[in-house]
Amino acid sequence: MASAELVGVTKRYDGGGEVVTALSDVDFAIEPGEFVAVMGPSGSGKSTMLNVLGLLDDPTEGARYLDGTDVTRLEDRGRTLARKEFVGFVFQEFHLIPTLTAVENVALPTMFDSGDDGRAAALLSRFGLGDRLTHRPSELSGGQKQRVAIARALVNEPTLVLADEPTGNLDTETGERILDELRAICAEDVAVVAVTHDPDLEAYADRVVRIEDGVLA
Amino acid sequence: MARRNLSRHRLRSALACLGICIGVLAIASLGIFGNVLALSADDAIGDIGNQIVITPNADEGVEELTARDVGAIERVAGDAGVAPLKTDGAQLSRGSESTFATVYGIDRPGEVYVAAEGRLPDRHRQGAILGADVAETLDADAGSVVTVEGVDLRVVAVLEPTEGFTPAAPDGAVLLPESAFSDAGYDQVIVEADSGAEATLIAEAVRETVNAREDRVDVFELTAVVEDVEDFFGLLSGFLLGLGAISLVVAGVSILNVMLMSTIERRTEIGVLRAVGVRKREVMATLLVEAGLLGVVGGLAGVVLTGLLVAGLTLFSPVEPGVVLDPTNALYLVGAFAFGVLISVVSGLYPAWKAASVPPVEALRE
Repeated sequence: MASAELVGVTKRYDGGGEVVTALSDVDFAIEPGEFVAVMGPSGSGKSTMLNVLGLLDDPTEGARYLDGTDVTRLEDRGRTLARKEFVGFVFQEFHLIPTLTAVENVALPTMFDSGDDGRAAALLSRFGLGDRLTHRPSELSGGQKQRVAIARALVNEPTLVLADEPTGNLDTETGERILDELRAICAEDVAVVAVTHDPDLEAYADRVVRIEDGVLA
Repeated sequence: MARRNLSRHRLRSALACLGICIGVLAIASLGIFGNVLALSADDAIGDIGNQIVITPNADEGVEELTARDVGAIERVAGDAGVAPLKTDGAQLSRGSESTFATVYGIDRPGEVYVAAEGRLPDRHRQGAILGADVAETLDADAGSVVTVEGVDLRVVAVLEPTEGFTPAAPDGAVLLPESAFSDAGYDQVIVEADSGAEATLIAEAVRETVNAREDRVDVFELTAVVEDVEDFFGLLSGFLLGLGAISLVVAGVSILNVMLMSTIERRTEIGVLRAVGVRKREVMATLLVEAGLLGVVGGLAGVVLTGLLVAGLTLFSPVEPGVVLDPTNALYLVGAFAFGVLISVVSGLYPAWKAASVPPVEALRE
């Protein structure tokens, strides 16, 4: 069973009077433990594809499945719960909350659940940040921030991790370390989709999908 | 998390707190001042509202109230104290001191008066009871002997000074037994009810029974006046509270502004929260806690300042401490604080809802 699947997905925006087709009849599936790189130029629709996969955006047409469950049409509340259940996000700009410590940032998705099972701290230790638990984001380097973000993406034990330009704000060497980490989480049967135009990423991916003008090549 | 978000812009948060603080201060102190005024007035007016005074209607040729009239009044008065009075004036002296005083002939002084020294007899048979001013002028105590119109009488009791105003003020009077008067009729009857409402009912009943056939008596009641005075103070309190409430609402607007600014600045952060699976109402709750925190801190400061202000009022003004420490004043403090927090949370509602409702994909795009 695929971790995530898009079937005939089309996404159209109303872009200031004219309709923009960001995705056109996209079929895509990713298996547990697979690392797929989605590559394409700016405006090709790769971020939209990630948003649709991650339930941040709804498809105009077509169907969407997470872990075999049809999640094409959900209310806001249902989408939020499904994101928390199935999906982890890693953003290019890290998007850590500046007022929270590293460990609090990692625990963010489960912040409103009762009890702290120590998973956030354990994840940070695993990513080599065991001595940075109480540091604020402003006290961390770019690579450290992205590792905190990856730990956050994993804290809810997702089946799918979506990374939007995970190495975009990092130097080559740090970027490679981050890719190593993403590669490593696939070993736990987590599916990883990374959107990028960094050619280095191809070497780490099991499969590379190219997208242009909303059409998968 | 709420606390840390607020401490990001300390000055802005502090100013919003200050607004609430001033609002709470205004509403609590104005409320308490109004209440103190009303309570002081209540004290001064005393029991006047509970008393009615019945006098013969001279216009109809009625010169005095008969024992039958008194009996009729007693029947309609029920549990209320009824004191028929005979009135005259007399020269009083003790040693070298002498004074002119009103003389009341009264059978049962205990119905309407209270003794400061000595004991009021159930039936006033002999001796004299002095009003507070008279006792002071003559330098007389219970047990002293005073001369009333040439007759020596032992003082059995001295009355408490009356606070405020009563229809038959006894301070400058001497109370003698009815037997000291030659004529049988009474000049006035005082009825002391337990409440203003009861006094009104009794006054009505007296008019209906005693005045059934002819207008024998004038019934004088102050309940209506007292109600007017109380209405006035109620209005004054309401007006002062209204002023305070306006300032609190203004403070609420500043909270609205602060929360709106801070949620706009944190649009992306809130989008991240939503993206990673934090629910809309959880985001709202966090933001409302922030607004509530501003209200609680500002409100507490306002309560403390009001306490100091009221303490100052007690120390440097002739207001009686008892009136200031009245428990109803604490109610204004608690009420103002609760209102302050409520206003803050309500002001936070719209920004919180607005921020939590932005689709995360839009919030993250920027």
